[in-house]
Amino acid sequence: MNEALRRLIGGPEKPDVDALKNRILAARSGPALSCEAVIAACAKLSDALNAPEYAALLAAMGMPKERAERELRLARTMLSAEYLRARIKAELGETEDISFTPVGEAFSVRQGWRPLGTLLHISAGNVDALPAFSVIEGLLTGNVNLLKLPREDNGLSAAALELLCEIEPSIRPFVEVFDVPSEDVETLQSLAALADAVVVWGGEEAIRAVRRMVSPDTRIVEWGHKLSFAYFSGEPSDDALRSAAINICATEQLYCSSCQGIFVDTDDFETVCRFAERFAAILSDVSAETPRFGGERVTAQKTLEVYTEQLEALRDPNAKRVFRAEGASVIAYSDSALAASRQFRCPWVKPLPKERLLETLLPYKNLLQTVFLSCPDESREALTALLLRTGAVRITDGRRMSEEYCALPHDGEYPLRRYLKRVSVEI
Amino acid sequence: MDERKRLFLKRDPYSPPKDETLFLRSVKALAAHHIASCPDYARIAEAAGFTPDALRSEADLFRIPVLPTLYFKRNRLFSVPERKLCVTATSSGTKGAQSLVGFDRKSLLLGIGMMFRFFRYYGVLSPVPVNYIVLGYEPSRHTQMGAIKTAYGTTKFAPALHREYALKDTGTDYALNLDGVKRALLRYAKSPFPVRFVGFPPYMFFLAKLLQNEGIRLKLNRRSMILLGGGWKQFSGEEIDRNAFFRLIEDTLGIPRERCLEFYSAVEHPMAYVRCREGHFHIPSYSRVIVRDPATLLPVPDGTEGLLSFVTPLVTSMPLLSVVTDDIAVRREGPCPCGCGAPYFDLIGRAGVSGIKTCAAGANELLGRQP
Repeated sequence: MNEALRRLIGGPEKPDVDALKNRILAARSGPALSCEAVIAACAKLSDALNAPEYAALLAAMGMPKERAERELRLARTMLSAEYLRARIKAELGETEDISFTPVGEAFSVRQGWRPLGTLLHISAGNVDALPAFSVIEGLLTGNVNLLKLPREDNGLSAAALELLCEIEPSIRPFVEVFDVPSEDVETLQSLAALADAVVVWGGEEAIRAVRRMVSPDTRIVEWGHKLSFAYFSGEPSDDALRSAAINICATEQLYCSSCQGIFVDTDDFETVCRFAERFAAILSDVSAETPRFGGERVTAQKTLEVYTEQLEALRDPNAKRVFRAEGASVIAYSDSALAASRQFRCPWVKPLPKERLLETLLPYKNLLQTVFLSCPDESREALTALLLRTGAVRITDGRRMSEEYCALPHDGEYPLRRYLKRVSVEI
Repeated sequence: MDERKRLFLKRDPYSPPKDETLFLRSVKALAAHHIASCPDYARIAEAAGFTPDALRSEADLFRIPVLPTLYFKRNRLFSVPERKLCVTATSSGTKGAQSLVGFDRKSLLLGIGMMFRFFRYYGVLSPVPVNYIVLGYEPSRHTQMGAIKTAYGTTKFAPALHREYALKDTGTDYALNLDGVKRALLRYAKSPFPVRFVGFPPYMFFLAKLLQNEGIRLKLNRRSMILLGGGWKQFSGEEIDRNAFFRLIEDTLGIPRERCLEFYSAVEHPMAYVRCREGHFHIPSYSRVIVRDPATLLPVPDGTEGLLSFVTPLVTSMPLLSVVTDDIAVRREGPCPCGCGAPYFDLIGRAGVSGIKTCAAGANELLGRQP
């Protein structure tokens, strides 16, 4: 509705699709993009990010200083030559073409990785500079990249990509950035028609829209939203509770990998409540030590939500109980349904005995991501296997739930492989 | 409880009643009624350690258990049997959740009486027939949003010759009817009768902008009027400067600023606040505003930002006695340069997480339910 009205008083210009088609053809007819050149450019970009003004820039955008520094440090690491080379090796194995004679055949073949061709990145705004990282993965694999910026983009991505093109001009023909609103299906469809694959980041709505829009001859690479949680079996240590609290406070529960809540290996709601009460005290301490992201309006919203939960809990104290702590709250529920938390330091605690773990979590196919498993050593192996069967793709410690490491699969996949195809040539 | 008539049916809504304890007495009596008649509310009061005796002066009003509008979006709470409700309405929840409120006959009559006196005070009641442009939804069978009822109700304050809706009912849904509105407006402009615009401010802005873009400048009957309500909140992207807005309206429609009234109201707090020329919402004598700390919900001193909450003894059928909205506001004592002596509040913004990036919440769509 508002979008329709807004358009009456003028919106952004549409990209010239015909001109774009010609530019793509020119890029794909010219010399292949050198992976080494992209790595070198990323390394230079990584060095450039060392400047303290970038931390100041992020801080000015409302990010707490510590977090801005942490994110920058991460970006610098992820763009370094050493990291990228190691990642490529882990994800693709041998990058050179290999030749061999297939078993039982009289001829030889050469096999190798080749770019899909053209990627259209439809990016979400939920992680700063994520659109740029998505495009860089496309560049490392030699693709032409069309980027549709997210609505709430803060300009970081376009600036980073521009810098990259300045550092290494041979990259420029392989990057095209657009500001097309998601409602402009017609333009997006014509962009998708130019692409071999559409890379979509975002929620159910975004993914559904892309599935509707893209014709069957175009591959769709989906990076959807995920949920992560902690699973506690046995008597937990304060340190284990503390490590869950650290993730909850540091990420404000905003990421796919953020701990939304804790499942406790029990059937008994009273046990869950005792656990929640103990966790609330620890969460309160950690919360006091961790700078907050989001201002007064977020606090106000969370106060209203938690207070409403509290009032509702009075209706049925056997279904829900709220444990308020300083600047955080823990809500104990008697059901075992997986759910996003209220976020901003409001985790849930729910019962889920290990005997029901698989049947309870199986319906959430493709939605599970990271699990922080806290359990006695003797049951660790069995519980890990069980959690992996539910569809979770990463088991880790609470403190590292939202930390990257080199060659960490993304939602259970190696992204670079998805932007490549394996070709075979008879020799 | 008939005392309340003396409170709500005053000719001047802003002058304090002669009987200084009337408000507090009415609140106390109504609190006792809700505790006695609504078991959920009684539980809430008990958990908060509240009894009506705690209300020794108006400084104690904050002690009444305050219910968030969010609570009414997820729970139904009545202090009379549901069969006694004669009108129900839902809020225009921006994300699906809607409050259901219901009024018994007594509350409804009291409320209507209050509104008529209130509108008469502002010269909105008029015997002269007018043509209406409703910048909102056409009433329909398939929805019972309070905003629609309010907008439609507002077209009853002066006899209607014709009503044209910006969002027309298609039987199952709504279609944008800007051309129809424009055509109706050009027709109205030729008629000798005044025109009234009713609806959301952003739509008014777009209509005026549309006329400006097309070079249309009308000189509507000088008794024409613009009645805006429902807030600017659905419309965060475009911050409209109020002065520029009223200039644009005067330029395109010939309606002076003093004929434009901006209202604040909420389904969960069914009364109207009018914005004065200084930009303040003055508080009628039958309502109290408490601005609350965003973290603790305790009252903050005047002049401090916090969550906007109201206390009023209007509604018998539901415990809407003390409600807290998700609007951020500041309260100040009068008098105001506009001439009104009553205290007022200024709207600052809205609680929420908009603009904050998140992916875990998005995953919740897939779950199809809120925790």
